[in-house]
Amino acid sequence: MSLSGTGRRGTCDCGRQFQSDIVSQSLAVATSLQRRAQTTRWIARAIALLICALVVARAITVSLAESYPLTFWASQLVNGLVLGGVYALVALGYTLVYGILLMINFAHGEVMMIGGVAGFFALQLAQALGWMRGPAGLVVAALLIVMGIGMIGAMFTGVALERIAYRPLRNAPRLVPLISAIGASLFLQYSVLLIFGVSPLVYQRPALISGGFRIGPVFIPYTGLIIFVTSLALMGALFVIVQRTRLGRAMRAVAADRDTAALMGVDVNQIITFTFLLGSALAGAAGVMLGFHNSVIKFNSGFIPGLKAFTAAVMGGIGNIPGAMVGALVLGIAESIGPSALGIPAEYKDIIAFVLLVLVLIFRPQGLLGEALAEKKV
Amino acid sequence: MTRQSFLLFATSLTACALLAACAAPAQPAAPAQPAALTPAPDQPTQPPAEPTQAPAEPTQAPAPAASPGTVVIPPGSKIRIGGSFALTGPIPDPGKDIRQGAEIAIDDANAAGGVNGFLFELVAEDGACSGDQGTVVGNKFAADPTIVAVTGGTCSGETFGLKPILQKARIPFVSPSATNPAVTSEDCDVCNRVALSDGLQGEVDADFVYNKLGFRKVAVMHDSSDYGKGVAEIFRDAFQKLGGEVVAFEGAKVGDTDFRAPLTKIGSSQPELIFFGGYATEAALITQQMKEVAGLENAKFMGVDGAYTQQYLDTAGAAAEGAYMSFVAGDTQKDKFDVFREKYIAKFGVEPEKLGPFHGQSYDSVLLIVEAIKKVAQTDSAGNLVIDREALIKAIRGTSGLKGITGTLTCNPIGECGAGGVQVFTVENGAFKQVFGFGLQ
Repeated sequence: MSLSGTGRRGTCDCGRQFQSDIVSQSLAVATSLQRRAQTTRWIARAIALLICALVVARAITVSLAESYPLTFWASQLVNGLVLGGVYALVALGYTLVYGILLMINFAHGEVMMIGGVAGFFALQLAQALGWMRGPAGLVVAALLIVMGIGMIGAMFTGVALERIAYRPLRNAPRLVPLISAIGASLFLQYSVLLIFGVSPLVYQRPALISGGFRIGPVFIPYTGLIIFVTSLALMGALFVIVQRTRLGRAMRAVAADRDTAALMGVDVNQIITFTFLLGSALAGAAGVMLGFHNSVIKFNSGFIPGLKAFTAAVMGGIGNIPGAMVGALVLGIAESIGPSALGIPAEYKDIIAFVLLVLVLIFRPQGLLGEALAEKKV
Repeated sequence: MTRQSFLLFATSLTACALLAACAAPAQPAAPAQPAALTPAPDQPTQPPAEPTQAPAEPTQAPAPAASPGTVVIPPGSKIRIGGSFALTGPIPDPGKDIRQGAEIAIDDANAAGGVNGFLFELVAEDGACSGDQGTVVGNKFAADPTIVAVTGGTCSGETFGLKPILQKARIPFVSPSATNPAVTSEDCDVCNRVALSDGLQGEVDADFVYNKLGFRKVAVMHDSSDYGKGVAEIFRDAFQKLGGEVVAFEGAKVGDTDFRAPLTKIGSSQPELIFFGGYATEAALITQQMKEVAGLENAKFMGVDGAYTQQYLDTAGAAAEGAYMSFVAGDTQKDKFDVFREKYIAKFGVEPEKLGPFHGQSYDSVLLIVEAIKKVAQTDSAGNLVIDREALIKAIRGTSGLKGITGTLTCNPIGECGAGGVQVFTVENGAFKQVFGFGLQ
């Protein structure tokens, strides 16, 4: 508005009175709009507060009425942490890409699924070679190889996605790559359906990691423990890469200001490819571990986890790496504890996830750990 | 604030996608344009309104464009029977098995000479075991004036998608495998099935668990599908009626892979058995994951016909040992079945049992349609085969004493045509072994 005002003043100085009228009117409109927006925001907050109060009241009455033992909550917490670990690995991919490109890679869930499919075939091969029946050391090595192949498969998919579906659209309006991402997601799902069929691919767990152990009465499956520990380790590795290496510094520079980073001699294309590589590797690991934990991978296995991970990334503050981890763990725990705590059927657990997202967005639009972004991104 | 509105857009997109992923059967969309000329293109389903529009000269009408109440098949064309099969979705293998069973039946009918020299053709579509896709397939058939009758759908939800559309289009259908009780009803004269209703299965299962196993405390789970939730509710009510206690009634969704949270909840009340209404993959995963949950270490698993497949055994692996599974079995005629099985293996190179359990019912569904068509089809002066839709609907419902491979088929007034009874199996050494119910010596 100020720019157009200046232009007008330059070309015509005869209607000062008229112009100031317009300015005051438009200012009045702006304030009333602002006021209305503020009122809406307060109404939204009031409703949200009411929902929070109702949820808390419901949780208290239900837990008093059901009186589940403490070990029950501990078991659900374990379920939630495992789920959260998987979501976190996938959410990191969303958040990394968003941080750098300001786009949402909706095909990221499919990258995870393809990692799982690649891992499945590696596992088949390892079984055919008899490695899964060998001594413990061999089995562990084979499992690591399976996971590595899953990660490589996902990395290949992620980088190809970037090259084919996103790079040509990098300077297009922001909705265009989003739509391209949805198209890529469907393309990947149905390619896998066409090639590998519709029946689920069944991961056979080797004896070494089937079953679990007990801490008191709380049962912890080995696969769950592996998921949680591995996702923590991978997240730690990611943190080190982003914060302590030259490539990480270049990534942060591109995220802060792509043009200036390019002027400083950072190869932006290379950094973006590297970002996709990192995010896809984490998703591939998640896909393989999910395969071992839940036994099956099929063409649409990435869809719902992808949506949940995206929710987690937004909840934690999209573009923020620790935020994605926190958001994912909160979401995982809420999903596993929520239905019991609120006394609602488990098939409605998705409602909990999305209500939580809406509440977080109302009270902290920037997400749990998000911060106000630099001027340029807003 | 472009960023906020962008995020809002993305979030609402997410929500829409999720809703779409688990939506209930949608309203029937507008049917596609009919392939051939019909008097009322946007209502291909109405009974004849303006017979004047149809060409009155049958001798010069090569295209079947007579009144909508009849199907006219010119010489050289085939009698087209639609098929809605769950070729994708949660149970692709049983869906394929049902399709192949139907193809054998069509082959047999054609080998026997068809009807007055006219041969049959199966128009197979993917119903995907979902209400949405059932609606799509139903509209496709309704818009095609050459479709005489339909075999399918495979799943109950899919069939609920087909039912109102085919009813309006006056196309009779026979489902080989949809077991929800509401698939047939008093107000639907085109709805028939060969499979037995879950009303029976749920009650026999409850009787087996209560009286044979002697369990008094069970938990019930379902996959929120029309089929799974339907049979779970019938079991729950029947078990409570017998005097047993149902400590939990928990849902999941078709396609879920992690059931540990609801299982943990169920485990806190330590039931002796978990009854699951749903399909093979989810059943297998529950069987596996319940071993990892406190309070369920010694609990048994029981599934229903949707999970009675080789795929259940393959997916669950060792965890399946000792699980129970019920099936709505036909009264299998061994001599007829052996002939069928031989043809099936010769044509498709796979044993039918490896894919799914309903091949016999599928064969009989087509047989029922073929025999009814034989009764009502007439040849007109131009050599066309004319089938009156209303007469065909009545002929299918009037089927009596038809010898199929799942027994002697007789349709009752609401369209229940199957023979046989409910069987209960247990998994022993990686294979199903019957322990209770129909036909056990």
